[in-house]
Amino acid sequence: MGGLLQEVALAGDDIPWLEGQREKGRELFLAQGLPTAKTEAWKYTRPRDLMTEDFILTGTDEDESHEEEHCNYHQGECRCGHHHESQKALSFPSYEIRFENGIMQAIDFELPKGVTIKPLIEAIYEEDAVKSYLGKEIDMAHYPFAALNTAYMEEGVYIAVERDVSLTKPIAIINHTHACRQNLMAHLRNLIILERGAQATIIENFNYSGNEKSRYFNNIVNEIYIGRGACLRHYKLQDEAYKAVHIALSRVKVRENGFYESFCLQKGANLARNESKISLKEEQAEAFVNAAYMINGWATVDTTTDIEHLSAHSKSHQLVKGVVGGNAKGVFQGKIHIAPNAVKTEGSQLHKALLLSDEAEIDCKPELEIYADDVKCSHGAASGELDKEQLFYMRSRGIGEEEAKQILIDAYLTEVINTISNEDVKNWFSDSANINTGEEKC
Amino acid sequence: MSNTPLLEIEDLSARVKDKEIIKGFNLTINEGEVHAIMGPNGAGKSTLSYVLCGKSGYEVTSGHVRFKGKDLLSMSVEERAREGLFLIMQYPVEIPGVAVTTFLKHAVNAQRKYHNQPELDTMDFMKLLREEGRKLGISADMLKRPINVGFSGGEKKRLETLQLTILKPQFAILDEADSGLDIDALKVVSEGINAERNEHNAMLVITHYQRLLNDIVPDFVHVYADGHIVKSGGKELAAEIEKNGYAEFTKEK
Ligand SMILES: Nc1ncnc2c1ncn2[C@@H]1O[C@H](COP(=O)(O)OP(=O)(O)OP(=O)(O)O)[C@@H](O)[C@H]1O
Ligand SMILES: [Mg+2]
Repeated sequence: MGGLLQEVALAGDDIPWLEGQREKGRELFLAQGLPTAKTEAWKYTRPRDLMTEDFILTGTDEDESHEEEHCNYHQGECRCGHHHESQKALSFPSYEIRFENGIMQAIDFELPKGVTIKPLIEAIYEEDAVKSYLGKEIDMAHYPFAALNTAYMEEGVYIAVERDVSLTKPIAIINHTHACRQNLMAHLRNLIILERGAQATIIENFNYSGNEKSRYFNNIVNEIYIGRGACLRHYKLQDEAYKAVHIALSRVKVRENGFYESFCLQKGANLARNESKISLKEEQAEAFVNAAYMINGWATVDTTTDIEHLSAHSKSHQLVKGVVGGNAKGVFQGKIHIAPNAVKTEGSQLHKALLLSDEAEIDCKPELEIYADDVKCSHGAASGELDKEQLFYMRSRGIGEEEAKQILIDAYLTEVINTISNEDVKNWFSDSANINTGEEKC
Repeated sequence: MSNTPLLEIEDLSARVKDKEIIKGFNLTINEGEVHAIMGPNGAGKSTLSYVLCGKSGYEVTSGHVRFKGKDLLSMSVEERAREGLFLIMQYPVEIPGVAVTTFLKHAVNAQRKYHNQPELDTMDFMKLLREEGRKLGISADMLKRPINVGFSGGEKKRLETLQLTILKPQFAILDEADSGLDIDALKVVSEGINAERNEHNAMLVITHYQRLLNDIVPDFVHVYADGHIVKSGGKELAAEIEKNGYAEFTKEK
């Protein structure tokens, strides 16, 4: 048994609507297959390395990553499947939800009133709301990986914040891959619902321990619903192992006066795409969709956004900055769609990249579809190299060349990291934004 | 005082792109000495400072430079700085996003590490920086700003001087440290520089005006024209140039 689409027993097979969605996912994934060079949406980011037949779904019998003898990398201290103390944990208090190799761990904190957090599969059984949200906004016919994700829909977290409830601490979703075993794949589905006036901060952190060269595949779909006047701050650090494949889609729907702020820093994986499809459904809905990437070696890292302005007075702002070294490739595709009735909307988009080597590559595709009059819309792109005069100035004061480059890279990314409104999170990202410009990853 | 000259430049020639700018330049500077170089615009004074600091784009076509007896030209830019070479640049570089304090802390610690000294404690360093800054009329606010970004001409020169007083190089080249400074600032800056003078270090002061040399009194003054030194003398030479200009040195052109 192998390949991306496998016959496995999933929990919840007694629920017809869930089985129906999974079946649809299988069908639509089979109908599309993996994107090829001819697939417009994936033309810069070929999902290489997924063609093989040897993937093992996490949590199945073939996944033995929880068995101690397979963990050669932790000198017998393996705690696979248990709470794992990662050094990459957050530096500030949070409600921490842990996934180990794609399996959600038991929650060990008290939930504030008005907040529900539980494994998705439990929510499917227990929460009436789930059925009316889950999968509703996912266009599986055009998102092959979302279709694949739906075929396996089971693991993931359900987060719901009730009307007017504000969470003081961020919710952190730590996705830790214990890379003890090759070729694991995980399909995570998170459903996040903020009711009217609710406020929350969610941090996704994808990290790993064990062999940095192990190959695994994480395929994530977040479905995010932001109610009237609700506010979600959504931050993500993608720091997967060098040979990992990471594909994520956040499908976000923002209602009247709702506010969505996101920032995603990608610095790991061999092949990664972080995609946001955001619908500003009603008036005054607003989104900040910022991102950064710092890549090296042979990685291809993709940031794709698609923001639909469907109503008047909606606003979106995007700033994406990348630093690309070695033979790596950075991809940015940004689409702003303004519907005919969405007058007096504002959409801005700016992509900037710093190329550290002659072999580094940037592909940038901005796309504006404007069907309304009286809108403010702008986009821009720029790429450049480290400034030689600045490097000389720093070195002439005794700072080593690599250190000088790192200082300039940090300064370059500071602009976009500063868009993060939560101070703790901002500092955490500043500390995380550290790449080695000298040594190349393999 | 050491017997080895601090800096020996021997028959140095260098070019930028295809243009020969330094042509057979000779100069020896010993510890404790201050030399001044004066010369017309475009003579190659800044080029000389850049060549000494190792900036890329300048090709040395002949000659040798020894710094404390070591071959300077084979060292990297940062090695030269760590060995004690410093340049107050005529046009200091702006670096958006990098605060003065961050930058200087990296510089100080990089140099300390090279000399096997422990890193400076951040609090101590900040205190030192604020104190030295105050002497040069640099406010704590300015120290938080990105290096040179939006600084006025005079402020940039003060900041260069601050770096000199913090890094305490054994050999400093001052490339028009006085340009852009108002009368009061000129005083403050030259006092700051004078305070760094001692019998173990040396300076090469590049200037167009005698005024700076009234404050930072040189032991030797050299006239630099057409790629090399055409006349050397004491500080009276500066007064002569102030009066007569460079016509007599450049008339062969
Ligand atoms: N990168 C370059 N490309 C072309 N020409 C250059 C370059 N750098 C310097 N030059 C030329 O070399 C000559 C010497 O320049 P340099 O800046 O060293 O003069 P300077 O003596 O410092 O003059 P000033 O007194 O005006 O500062 C000038 O003619 C200048 O135009
Ligand atoms: Mg000059």
